[in-house]
Amino acid sequence: MSASATRPAAGTRPAGTTDPVSPKDPTPAGRPPSPRRRARRGLPLRERLTSGAFLAPAVLLVGALLLAPFAATLWRSLFNDHRASGFAQLDNYRLFFTNEALVRSVENTLMWVAGTVLLPFVLGLAIACMTDATRWSRFARLCVVTPYALSGAAVAVVWNFVLTSDGALNQLLKTVGLDSLAHGWLLEWPSSTVVMILANAWQATGVAVILFLVGLQGIPPETLEAASLDGASPWQRFRHVVLPQLRPVSIIVIGMSLANGLKSFDLIWVLTQGGPGRATETLAVSMYQETFLLQHPGAGAAIAVVLTVIVLAASWLYLRRQLDAKGE
Amino acid sequence: MRTVPLGRILRNTTLILLALLWAVPTWLLVVNAMVPAAEYGGSPHWWPQGFGLLDNMRQAWDRAQLGPSMANSLLYAVTSSLVAILLATGAAFAAVVMPVRRRTLWFWLIYSGTLLPLQVFLRPLFLSYADFGLYDTQIGLVLVYAAIAVPFAFFIMRNYAMTLPREVVEAARMDGASWWRLFWRIHVPLSRSAMVAAFVFQFVSVWNDLLFGITLSTSRNIRPVMAALAELQGTYVSVGPPVVLGGAILVSLPTVVLFFSAQRFFVSSLKLTR
Repeated sequence: MSASATRPAAGTRPAGTTDPVSPKDPTPAGRPPSPRRRARRGLPLRERLTSGAFLAPAVLLVGALLLAPFAATLWRSLFNDHRASGFAQLDNYRLFFTNEALVRSVENTLMWVAGTVLLPFVLGLAIACMTDATRWSRFARLCVVTPYALSGAAVAVVWNFVLTSDGALNQLLKTVGLDSLAHGWLLEWPSSTVVMILANAWQATGVAVILFLVGLQGIPPETLEAASLDGASPWQRFRHVVLPQLRPVSIIVIGMSLANGLKSFDLIWVLTQGGPGRATETLAVSMYQETFLLQHPGAGAAIAVVLTVIVLAASWLYLRRQLDAKGE
Repeated sequence: MRTVPLGRILRNTTLILLALLWAVPTWLLVVNAMVPAAEYGGSPHWWPQGFGLLDNMRQAWDRAQLGPSMANSLLYAVTSSLVAILLATGAAFAAVVMPVRRRTLWFWLIYSGTLLPLQVFLRPLFLSYADFGLYDTQIGLVLVYAAIAVPFAFFIMRNYAMTLPREVVEAARMDGASWWRLFWRIHVPLSRSAMVAAFVFQFVSVWNDLLFGITLSTSRNIRPVMAALAELQGTYVSVGPPVVLGGAILVSLPTVVLFFSAQRFFVSSLKLTR
C-alpha cells in the first residue's frame, strides 16, 4: 500500500479510487503554490469562520484535555519531589539508572514488548492460515477470537483464577503428577511477568486472527494457482506468495501489538498491582505507582515522558505511512 | 506420496491443541461461575455442578454495587462516544471537504492525542479536575472519555471522508447550499457506516477502561464498571471465586454481545485504521 508509488498528480483524483490514505493536499510548504492554493489564500472571512466552527470543538477538547496535560507533565518532570519542589533538570530521568524498581520496570516492559509483538503475530498468522471454511475449524477460530471481546480487567479475573496458588493450573499439574512444577506463578519473578504476557496473548491473538483473515481474503486466488502450476510446494507458496501480500496487515498487527504491549496496565494492575515488591511493574504501572501511591509526581512524570518517547518511536511504523500519505 | 496427508494431520493436530489451549480458560470461567458459591470447596471445578450463575451474579451485583457502575459505564460509553464521533465527523468534514488552509497542522493537532500513552495525561487532569470541581463527577468522566475518543474517531472519519465522491458536494455548493446544511444533509448520511463502526469501537474502549475510572473517580455511584470489577477482584478470598467470575461475566456481557452481533462493524473499523 505504498502511497508514493500510486499517488495521483496534485489536485487530481482518479475516479473510483478507494485508497483511504490518498493525499488530498499534496502541496508541501516550500514548493511554489499551485493555483488552487493561491485561490485558497483569498478565502472570504465567512468561509474561514465556518471551517473554524467545524474544527474548533474537536481541537479545543483535544487541546484542553490531552495536549495541555501532556505539556504540564513534560514540565513537571523537570522538578524534583522534595517538599519545596525545585528545578531539578534531568534528575528524575537519572532514576532510570539508579532506582532498582525502575530498572526492573524497564526490563519487564522490554519483556512485554517482545511477548506482545511475537506471540499474537505468530499465533494469529498460524491460526488464520490453518483454519479454512469447514465447520470445526471455524469453531476453533471462535475459541481464539472470543477472549478478544473481554476487557483487560475481566481477563485478569479469569487468569487470577487459573494462576493463583490454589488455582486451576497448579491443580492440573498436581493431578497429572507434576507436583514439582506447581508453584506460586504470580509470586516469583520472572515467571510472574511471563505468565501475564501469556494471559495477554490469550486475549490479544483474536484481533490478529481477524486482521490476518481480512488480509488473506484480499489475496487474489490466481496468484496461488499460478504458483501451484509452477510446482511450488505449500511452504514455498506461503513463503513467497502469501507472506509478501500480507505485509500491510502485518504492519498493522505489529504496530497495534507494540502499542498495546507498551501501554498494558489493566491486566497487571488487577492481577498483581505491580507486586509483589514492585517486581511485575511495567512503565505504565510504575507511573501510576510513583505518582498516586508513592506521591512522587516528578518521578512519575519522568516515567510518563520516557514511555511517550518509546511509544512514539514504536509508532514510527504507523507515522511514516501517515506522513507518506500526507505527501511530505 | 504420503506428504500431503501427513501435513494435514499435523496441521489439524496443531489447530486442535491451540483451540483447546484457548478454550480451557473460557471453559473454566463459565463452569466455575455456575458453581453455587456456598458449594465451592476451595479448588477449581472442571465440570459443571449445579446452576448458581444467576445467584452468583446477584451477589456480585450487591457486593460491588455493579448495578450503578454498569449504568454509569453505559452513560459514559454512549454519550462520550456520540459526542466524540459528532465532533470528529465535523472536524473531518472541515479537514477534507472544506477549503481549509494548513490541513496538515489541523490533522496532527487532533490526531496526536491518540499517539500519546494515557499515563501522560493523568496527573494534570487529576489536579485540574480537583480545581474545577470535576473530580468524581459524571460530567468529568464523560468529558475525558470524549477527549480520548476524538483523535482516533477523527482519524477514521477523515480516512473515510477521503473515499467519498466530491461531485455531490461540489454540485450542492453550486446550488448554493450552506456548509452547515451540506454537513447534515449530505456528509453525515454518507458517512453513517463509518460513524457506526467508530461508535462500536469507542463504546467498547470506554466500557473497558480502568485507568481513568480509578484515577478520576472514587464514589461507588460515579465510578465506571471496570473499577467496580477491580474492587470485586480485591475481595476474591472473602466472596469466593464463583461470585467474582460471575461478576466478570456479567460486566463483559454487553461488549461480548456487541462484539458478536456487530463483528462486521468491528472488522470494518479495524480496516479503516489502515
